[in-house]
Amino acid sequence: MAQQPPPSRTASAGPPSAGGMNAPATTPGGGQGGNSNQNLNQIVLEYLAKKGYSRTEAMLRKESAHTDPNGNLITSRVEETGGKMYRTSFALLQNWIDNSLDIYKPELQRILWPVFVHAFLNLIGDFYPREGREFFDLFSEMFQNEHKDDVRALAPITEPEHLQQNELTQLYRINKYRLTISRLAFTNLILFLEDHEKEGGTVIVNLIQTFLDVRTPDRQANGGSRGLQRLLADRNGERDYPAEDEGIPGHNPGSANLSINAPTVLSKLALGPMPMEPDLMEDVKAELQDLDGVRPPAAGQNSLVDEFEQRIKHEPMDDVPSREALPFPPSTARDVAMEVQKVKENRDRFRVEGRTGGVGPGISVTMFTFHNTFDSMNCIEFSGDNTLVAVGTAESYIRVWSLDNRALTSPADPPSFQPSSSRRLVGHSGPVYALSFSPTVAVPPVQVNGFTLATNTAYESQPRYLLSSSADSTIRLWSLDTWTNLVVYRGHQSPVWDVRFCPHGHYFVSASADRTARLWSTPQIGPLRLFTGHDSDVETVAWHPNGAYVFTGGGNGDRTVRMWDIVRGTSVRIFTGHVGNVTALACAPNGHVVASADDRGEIILWSLPTGRLIKRMRGHGRGGIWSLDWSVESSVLVSGGADGTVRVWDVQPNKDSNGKVVGEGGAGTKIDGSATNGAVTKTVTGKAKKDVIVSPDQISAFPTKKSPVYKVKFTLMNLVMAGGAYLP
Amino acid sequence: MSVWNPENVIDVAESIGIASLPRDVVEHLARDVEYRMAQVLEEALKFMRHSKRTTLTTQDISQALRLLEVEPLYGYESTRPLRFGEASIGPGQPLFYVEDEEVDFEKLINAPLPKVPREVSFTAHWLAVEGVQPTIPQNPTQADQRNQELSAKGPGANSTLAAMSGNDNVSVKPLVKHVLSKELQLYFERTCSAIFEESNEEYRIAALASLRTDPGLHQLVPYFVQFVADKVTHNLSTLYILTQSMLLISALLDNESLYLAPYIPSLIPSVLTCLVGKRLGSPSQDGPTSHFALRDFAASLLAIIMRKYASTSTTLKPRIARSCLKHFLDSHKPLGTHYGAILGLTMVADAESVLSLILPNLRAYNDGILQDAMKDDGKREQAEHVLDAILKGLKLLDADELVEDSLGDVVWAKVGEIGLV
Repeated sequence: MAQQPPPSRTASAGPPSAGGMNAPATTPGGGQGGNSNQNLNQIVLEYLAKKGYSRTEAMLRKESAHTDPNGNLITSRVEETGGKMYRTSFALLQNWIDNSLDIYKPELQRILWPVFVHAFLNLIGDFYPREGREFFDLFSEMFQNEHKDDVRALAPITEPEHLQQNELTQLYRINKYRLTISRLAFTNLILFLEDHEKEGGTVIVNLIQTFLDVRTPDRQANGGSRGLQRLLADRNGERDYPAEDEGIPGHNPGSANLSINAPTVLSKLALGPMPMEPDLMEDVKAELQDLDGVRPPAAGQNSLVDEFEQRIKHEPMDDVPSREALPFPPSTARDVAMEVQKVKENRDRFRVEGRTGGVGPGISVTMFTFHNTFDSMNCIEFSGDNTLVAVGTAESYIRVWSLDNRALTSPADPPSFQPSSSRRLVGHSGPVYALSFSPTVAVPPVQVNGFTLATNTAYESQPRYLLSSSADSTIRLWSLDTWTNLVVYRGHQSPVWDVRFCPHGHYFVSASADRTARLWSTPQIGPLRLFTGHDSDVETVAWHPNGAYVFTGGGNGDRTVRMWDIVRGTSVRIFTGHVGNVTALACAPNGHVVASADDRGEIILWSLPTGRLIKRMRGHGRGGIWSLDWSVESSVLVSGGADGTVRVWDVQPNKDSNGKVVGEGGAGTKIDGSATNGAVTKTVTGKAKKDVIVSPDQISAFPTKKSPVYKVKFTLMNLVMAGGAYLP
Repeated sequence: MSVWNPENVIDVAESIGIASLPRDVVEHLARDVEYRMAQVLEEALKFMRHSKRTTLTTQDISQALRLLEVEPLYGYESTRPLRFGEASIGPGQPLFYVEDEEVDFEKLINAPLPKVPREVSFTAHWLAVEGVQPTIPQNPTQADQRNQELSAKGPGANSTLAAMSGNDNVSVKPLVKHVLSKELQLYFERTCSAIFEESNEEYRIAALASLRTDPGLHQLVPYFVQFVADKVTHNLSTLYILTQSMLLISALLDNESLYLAPYIPSLIPSVLTCLVGKRLGSPSQDGPTSHFALRDFAASLLAIIMRKYASTSTTLKPRIARSCLKHFLDSHKPLGTHYGAILGLTMVADAESVLSLILPNLRAYNDGILQDAMKDDGKREQAEHVLDAILKGLKLLDADELVEDSLGDVVWAKVGEIGLV
């Protein structure tokens, strides 16, 4: 590639005004060096003097004052260097921030990313492909850590039309990047930029004005979350976390109201459990009374009726969703049996307490490892009664096994059919990405003196339906009685990434690459609600335990977790702070905390009533956390991921040295409240290169043998079931 | 700089008959092609992620093309990553290509069918029992996990937890891996010594009663299991200790507040030893037949375990049945072992196993071993015990509804024929 004269642009096509400099054409013979050029000027001047055109001569002298002897323009303002101006000004900004006071540095560094993105997009938009590339190569390195995906997505953009077509650039262009910098730091920045107006300050100020939404709160007024102490603590290597209120959709943290002038009041949520149907309640009570009669409670144990009453009573009545708004089909005898079993297990299970006094609870994990899969397995799902496991494959079929080796039969089987403990469900025409069993509870067969009564009730607890979602944009409902496809739900326009049954059955929600999540009910083939708002694929969904809300997690470019009210179909909370694609979500059974995990190996806990971040937990290697689940008491979280480990986490909020809860607002939670302590700092920085830091919230980690963990699930008795494929 | 350089565009243009393209058009096209390729890759990565894979496959690319409404590329479907070959077409100009072997149809048609890939199957194991990862072959060894960050560091991290899970990179290594309170340790020592106290029966009974009812012993369970295993392996010749060990296990099994399921696999060997052990106790001290009582007791324990825990592990039953059958069919083992094995088989399974496992072997056993033993005076007493056990098993058949009456008659006729009764 031939080197052209320095100031000229590489591409030959382009608006003539874009350059703002003299093109080589105006200096004929420029290639022959400065000598002839200067001579020419000299000759002309002499000629003018000789002829006495003094005014023309003065004009010529005046006009050529800005050019050097070679005839090139002498630039005094950086804007006049065309494509180079962004490079110079960005370097200026970066340099100043690096040398600024330590207490401002973490805040100011946050501004580099949006300025970088918009400078790059401006370069491309103004048609400077080569300068754009140079600028990108020069500065993108420092964002690799935090914005790896975005950097990768921006890298190939070289033409103005790409800007128009690319979803990510559109996101950056349409929205204002919201950023919070304390007032003093921001004032300093602006003062500096004004001082260095000619060296590039104006360029940066323009970018900030056009594309950023900078909030400048008073450090004093905001107290804890932005206090000086807090900032000092933050210095220890956590700069690659965005603050909770930073990001592309300008919004108030937690609130789903995206308008800049939105009030800071959050909508009230009904997070209590769904009230029980009165008929069902009576039936369950009667049943429990019978059971208490047959088997009186052991000493020190509550009777089942008491247990049940307690559960119903301590629900405060004001924060429960109403049954009228969310109709369900009437309950059956099966529901009664299951409710009874839930009460029994609630009394009898092994309780997992939080981490009190340091040692965490000992969790037992059963691992189900699948062999000979050749990496063609996409998802694993266990049924609620722990008798079935279903696997969705890349070869478009679903396979269901019974975990206890029981033959899976159907009344429609021909007499010659050889029953086996697994069955295939064939129907989809694309890889199956998610499965969901209709909710059930294991109802164990009645035992008398330790002997099992051979009755049929044992298998009545088996789930009746299975939902599957696939790349063919459909969701299918399968009957597990006849092992056939019952319904095909069409509506999504793109692959459906996730589908989940409501905890009470009947309804289900799906997430798709068409950026919507949809609510369906099993008897209707059309969606009941459309949840729109995500700026990219909806990657994963989860239900609130009371069935009145759903959570969705967004992919690249969006990365938000949103909470939707299914009755009104509106978004009620929005949580930002993930730096990777959200891969798993789980809401705590107590209904007040939701956990979300991303493919950078990070888990974040969010408080629903306040809409704020509780804490970040790290430990998983990169590559995605595929599944999360909570213990029944909401005291412990378990996760499994592509790094082939099952990890157990303490969900208690970290305490800072003052005993206050940190992490409410502000940048990510510190590794520990006492992180200013030298020892931690050392470990953190020492391990920084290894890029996986295990935060102390982790209670334990169990590695598998080369088996990525696709699914983890707590049973109602607090045993963890994990599923994965052995990939040698 | 770029993967797709302008020369490629010129080549492609020439191949479709466009001889001269302006330079800027070429450059523009090259940049655009590169952008489109990146876009396809970006979409394909999504499919990879949702398939929970970490390698991109050709299928992801075709799915991505379909999503972008582009005709997918056909002929590259492969479940395995494609192999790339590299050829040099000049200095510093490597050329990459997909290795694509030529296939002779004739050969392909006549070749034997390829092997059917192995069926997908699953296995279950304990990844962790109460927060500790057991060292079994299914779990990785510590050498495998050295490069993984497993335990938390820093002041909030808990060193005992790391030690408990066996991956203690921390400097403090507690001597006791499980955290036991002083009181529990004391209780453990006292109970163990009391149970084996020969002189004081009151002690023994009190200790066993405490084990049977005390709700707070859960932390001690692994210690008791280990203790019993030690006692049994080292004291095979002392009937008293073996019996007491079995009583200890029985007490643990009776305790309603303990959750024994994870420990059953480690309990079974001790019980099986007492059931089918070659030489239990010393005949000179205890008499030749006293060990039958121990075997009876062990068999009853096995029955309790089966009844309570068979449902927790699908492999438990077949495993025990297999080892019992092995001992039963081994003619070199003493009669005591056979007795235990038969008892075990009848206890573990039900009429069905008697029918399918014992009955077919009965004739051979009778002719080969039992008849000889009956004739031998020294062994007669033991042989009668064995006969009792067999008959007990056969009676199960009668009681069970599974076996039809007519079949029962056949069985008894067969037994009569063999000459047992």
